[in-house]
Amino acid sequence: MYHINKIFALAIIILLTGCSIGGEKKIKIFSVEKPREKLDYPMPTALQLEELKWIIITSENAQEVFAKLEAAGIDPVLFGVTDKDYQVLSRNFAQIRQKLQETNNLLEEYKKYYEPEEKK
Amino acid sequence: MVITLVLIAGIAGAGMYVMKLRSDNAILKANQHKLETAITEQNKVLEQQKQDFTAILESNKKLNVLINTFKKDLQDLDKRFTKKNRDIGKLAIDRTKAIERIINKAGVNAARCIELASGAEHTPEELKATLKSEINPECPALANPNYVPYQ
Repeated sequence: MYHINKIFALAIIILLTGCSIGGEKKIKIFSVEKPREKLDYPMPTALQLEELKWIIITSENAQEVFAKLEAAGIDPVLFGVTDKDYQVLSRNFAQIRQKLQETNNLLEEYKKYYEPEEKK
Repeated sequence: MVITLVLIAGIAGAGMYVMKLRSDNAILKANQHKLETAITEQNKVLEQQKQDFTAILESNKKLNVLINTFKKDLQDLDKRFTKKNRDIGKLAIDRTKAIERIINKAGVNAARCIELASGAEHTPEELKATLKSEINPECPALANPNYVPYQ
């Protein structure tokens, strides 16, 4: 009976402490720095403009110009600007071109700064 | 008996003191290592900041040069229309065909400038151009990077 009690007591002790053998495992939290994915858009495709023809029409050559248009099968109608408006149009186009160039340049600079090519 | 106890206590105290010293030494070594690592990292950050500032300055400089080029291009365009009290309207009446040819050529050049501004590749001729007769007068700085304007 004495031995049974001893074994029983020992069994209870093992039962109660068994789970703690080796101790609880500690959770390790570690952070890994993962850089943000690159957007990596290709640069916009370059424009390919179509050619257009300017026709100068004066009071003297008007009939000749319209006759030539008709002979070539083109509707005898012209959309005109004055000499002053032609200058304005030229300036406007120059400004649009400059804005385009500036924007493309900024895009390149941003790309270079934030997404530099990785050294191999 | 008392002497023995004192002796044992002394030896134990000395032992503990030495252990404490060792432990302090280990902590100090670890601290030293951490400080050295921190200094290295700080130096790296400073170096990166320096590189960033240089890159920003360089970029600003490029952008300023570009904006000055724009101003000059617009001034040059105005000059072409008004040089020596030139009146493009009167010229077009007097020399209709010649002016028509000139503005059509200018139109082609201006269109090419827009293509280049949108990112088109330069042609070998554009890159080679160093003479005034070879350049695209609508946007020489953009179209002909190797052209140096005459003084």
